[in-house]
Amino acid sequence: MNGPVIELDNLQIKLGPRIILDRLNGSLSGRCIGLLGPNGSGKSTLLNTLLGFYRPLAGRVRIFGNDIQENLRELRSQIGYMPESDAFIADMSGVHFVRYMAELSGLPKSEAMERAHEAFFHVGLGEARYRKLGTYSLGMKQLAKLAQAIAHGPRLLLLDEPTNGLDPEARQRMLQLVRDIRDTGEVRVLISSHLLHDIEECCDEVIILKDGKIAALCNLEEERKANLKFLELEVNNENGFLESIRGLGCECASFGAGRLKIVLPDNIEVRQLYRLASEQSVQIRRMNYRRDSLEDIFLKAMMNGNGASVETKVMSNGRL
Amino acid sequence: MAVYKRSYKAYSGLQTPGWSRFTVLTRYGLERLFDSRIFTAYTVFCFLPFLGGLLFIYFVHSSSAQTLLNIRFGREPLINNQFFFRFLSMEAWLGFLLTAWAGPGMISKDFANHSIQLYLSRPLSRTEYLAGKISVLATLLSFTTWIPAVVLFGVQAEMQGQGWGWENLWIAGAIILASILWIAFISLLSMALTVWVKWRIAATALFFGVLFFMAGFGFAVNAVLRTKWGWLLNLPHMIFVVWGSLFRIPLWTVQFRGEIVPVWSAWASLLTVCGFCLWLLNSRLKAREVERA
Repeated sequence: MNGPVIELDNLQIKLGPRIILDRLNGSLSGRCIGLLGPNGSGKSTLLNTLLGFYRPLAGRVRIFGNDIQENLRELRSQIGYMPESDAFIADMSGVHFVRYMAELSGLPKSEAMERAHEAFFHVGLGEARYRKLGTYSLGMKQLAKLAQAIAHGPRLLLLDEPTNGLDPEARQRMLQLVRDIRDTGEVRVLISSHLLHDIEECCDEVIILKDGKIAALCNLEEERKANLKFLELEVNNENGFLESIRGLGCECASFGAGRLKIVLPDNIEVRQLYRLASEQSVQIRRMNYRRDSLEDIFLKAMMNGNGASVETKVMSNGRL
Repeated sequence: MAVYKRSYKAYSGLQTPGWSRFTVLTRYGLERLFDSRIFTAYTVFCFLPFLGGLLFIYFVHSSSAQTLLNIRFGREPLINNQFFFRFLSMEAWLGFLLTAWAGPGMISKDFANHSIQLYLSRPLSRTEYLAGKISVLATLLSFTTWIPAVVLFGVQAEMQGQGWGWENLWIAGAIILASILWIAFISLLSMALTVWVKWRIAATALFFGVLFFMAGFGFAVNAVLRTKWGWLLNLPHMIFVVWGSLFRIPLWTVQFRGEIVPVWSAWASLLTVCGFCLWLLNSRLKAREVERA
């Protein structure tokens, strides 16, 4: 399963008088792709567009090389969708519901029944499969939604906030399931989430939206490798010091209150920073090496996108 | 390997034909309706007029049965257009109650459960979704209207002989056309009201309201404005006006107090309602509404 999964070609979506997605361009080919962005950035609109719910005002979307407007029906049979909100038939038993959905995706009766059972065992709800969906707990409902999304064996799985409302244990179980599904190599996954940690744990590629535009599109693995010499500094006075560091050939960003982030080129040693600080009588109060986390990528994207400042706060738990 | 030991794998087996997907909705819809014993019992009850009709045709043609029961039928033909009109009218009212039971819950449950987006994210268009849901009602109503009526027509043609079937073939046509109109009208109305109010009880109340309160309003319009056009708001009556013309029954026998509205206006009234229902369904039945909710 090589080649791009999703290709956005100047995609523009208008709902009512508002342009929600504004000329998106990019190609996504990761095994598991994270879709990030603050509220109202257009994540759900992009998911809905991939499902063919919205017609583009301009541009195209291709999934596995097929234009969604021209091959919508065929593509939908290859897509599994787990919506964010509760979506099921309350008075149906779990396995009956998943079988129903699999049949609608095109599976013959007997295969649908077999795969419904299989999907229920796979998500860990095997024992509860004959219970009515209305009696399920929140965590079980999330798993049942995942089961209906995978029962027909899609090639692309769209997960909208899959860990919403789950307790830490259930969240870990859900993420492990997503990783297991991803690692089979038979399906590509697109996860839309507010939780940076979820995306970081599962995804190898990230698309970050801001105000309907792509603020960042990056391969997480490559990004991490490229930022191995990533340094965080806290100094008492950054005036002049910042310029001197840049003079050494380092990439440098200031986050206020003396907090600096620096990418050291291969030919620069840390001791040169100490020397500079000494020369300028700057106290280095904290220094640590760290990998470039998704949080940093996200913050950078928010800073760079449209040249605006960071409006979205990232809380300590990684929730936007 | 046992089912519970298997891990995720993509499906590469046979797929059902695309055109047949909507029948999955119909099959599951019927299955769910017949889960209720009361509904099943009522559906069986709807076949009673058919059995009555069969017996009646048999008695009309069997002199020994007439002698046994000491009944004498006159020389007037008893099995004619009037007979089928009355039979269909009776079945239509029974079918109306069947629709009032089954119709509003069909889509409102999907709205209540936010499951429209699940249906429409599959290889199923909005039209197919609606076709699948309407087919549930169409199947039920067909088995209580035109199918038994056509069977009765066939039995009568067989027992009467002498080319009766060919001479009266237009009655079979009237049965089918009248039933299709009734089924389309009642199904679209119940579905459209459901997507509008999205709450089963309210949709059922509105269903009765549109048919009976509008009729009352029509009476008021006639009385206040001293006109006959208020009849156009009486939709069940408009159905009977159209049926009367299809079954070649004089309009004065189906219309009240000589206030006869032209047949074209009855057609126009019904088709306008059907068109409005389609518009309502088209504008309300969307996956993204669920997303916004």
